[in-house]
Amino acid sequence: MGVLEWIQNLPLSTSIAESDSLWWGYAWWLFVHALGMGLTAGIGFILCLRLLGVGRQIPLSSFRVLFRLFWIGFYLNLLSGTLLFMTDATGIARVWELYAKLACLGVVLALMVRLRQFVDSDQSDGVIPPRITNMAYACIVLWLAVITSGRLIAYAVEANGAKL
Amino acid sequence: MVPSSDLVHLHLLLNHFPTVGMIVGFGVFLLALVKKSEDLKRGGLAVMFVIALLSLPTYMTGYSAQKAVRGMAGVSQGVVNLHQRSALMALIFMEATGVAAWYGLWHSRRRSALGTRNTAVVLLLGALTIGLMSSAANVGGEIRHPEILSSPETVAATEGLFAPRWLGSDFITTYQYSHPWAWKTLETIHFMGLCLLFGVVLVGNMRLLGWMRNASLEGFHRLLPWGVWGFVANSVTGMLFFIGQAFQYIDNAAFHWKILCILLAGADVLYLTWHDEVWDLGPGDSAPAMVKVLAASQIVLWIGVIYFGRMLPYLGNAF
Repeated sequence: MGVLEWIQNLPLSTSIAESDSLWWGYAWWLFVHALGMGLTAGIGFILCLRLLGVGRQIPLSSFRVLFRLFWIGFYLNLLSGTLLFMTDATGIARVWELYAKLACLGVVLALMVRLRQFVDSDQSDGVIPPRITNMAYACIVLWLAVITSGRLIAYAVEANGAKL
Repeated sequence: MVPSSDLVHLHLLLNHFPTVGMIVGFGVFLLALVKKSEDLKRGGLAVMFVIALLSLPTYMTGYSAQKAVRGMAGVSQGVVNLHQRSALMALIFMEATGVAAWYGLWHSRRRSALGTRNTAVVLLLGALTIGLMSSAANVGGEIRHPEILSSPETVAATEGLFAPRWLGSDFITTYQYSHPWAWKTLETIHFMGLCLLFGVVLVGNMRLLGWMRNASLEGFHRLLPWGVWGFVANSVTGMLFFIGQAFQYIDNAAFHWKILCILLAGADVLYLTWHDEVWDLGPGDSAPAMVKVLAASQIVLWIGVIYFGRMLPYLGNAF
């Protein structure tokens, strides 16, 4: 626990945890995390729906530009998620929901990279191969799992008696 | 924050809209069926959609009115509770009518005439909603008008049919406290709905703002029902949070802002669903300036909804 306590007691961590500011404190970073989730999972859902045949009039190649927003959302979440973790590292590191979320996130990001390769390719506006539609189904399930495990982290930390 | 007394006034102002507005919208829709006018049908559907939106603050401000009359001489808490339950039953049908009305508007973009099935659903839900809203309004009137008090037999019949006990705030609150998984499940569904809704809002409006210009609007139109399903998931779960802890929300500034953003975004959705100039855009076409302003406002408003939703425990005096 030594490293986790050290992280939690860093001036950066305590300044966020103890700040009442709506532009720097815990509440602000919670908002940034929710916004990042809306960008990443939201765009992920829509891309997968399109790959599964919803809105097939939209050329898949036009989705290329959306990956910029997707990665902006991801980096917002990486930053806000890290800062939120730092404010209560000893509590959050203790719950298995965190590791479930990170594992699902790792797999879904790898799948999104594969889907991007397909969207970037010359075949993207042609017939969508079954392996791509299977990936789209898997992505939807994994994004739902990321959201679920993310929500459960706060409850699990609370149940463990740690400070939220 | 809007003062509690103003919210009570707002309730007294708004509470006529659901009943009268539904009768007007439903009447226009019936007239359209007789006259076989598709434009008139769309008008009736739009009125019903707007009334469904306005019914949300009408119901929510009812809790401020409830708080104001609590303990007041001559006010029966039983009648107040009966009004709350019957209003919730009416609200459920009103929102279902609103969704069916929006679907009718959306569907009429794809086919020139409204489908028979959709027409039947709107007629059925609309008629039931008018009955339930009238019943809720009647019980609401009895709170401060003892001269029109119903007989005990009528009250008992109303309770059983239109205002079952499980629609009461106390029942829902107790359920949430005694089932710890309930709140967690609702929150998780709320976040899933948010992602789906925000994804549709973002992608559709980015096209209107000039991104993804090689695509026509037709495909984005097909995505809209998914956004509406996200909104339905969020409305149902959000209302269950609200009903379970209503007195924590009603005086919360962040909550007032959140509801305002949702209502304005709803008005935007109606405009964008209604107007042909939006959906006639082909590949390479640029949207008119007014539509771009509305598209940008949609994105900003939904970011506002997320912001104020997250700030609920941190802004204002509740939680």
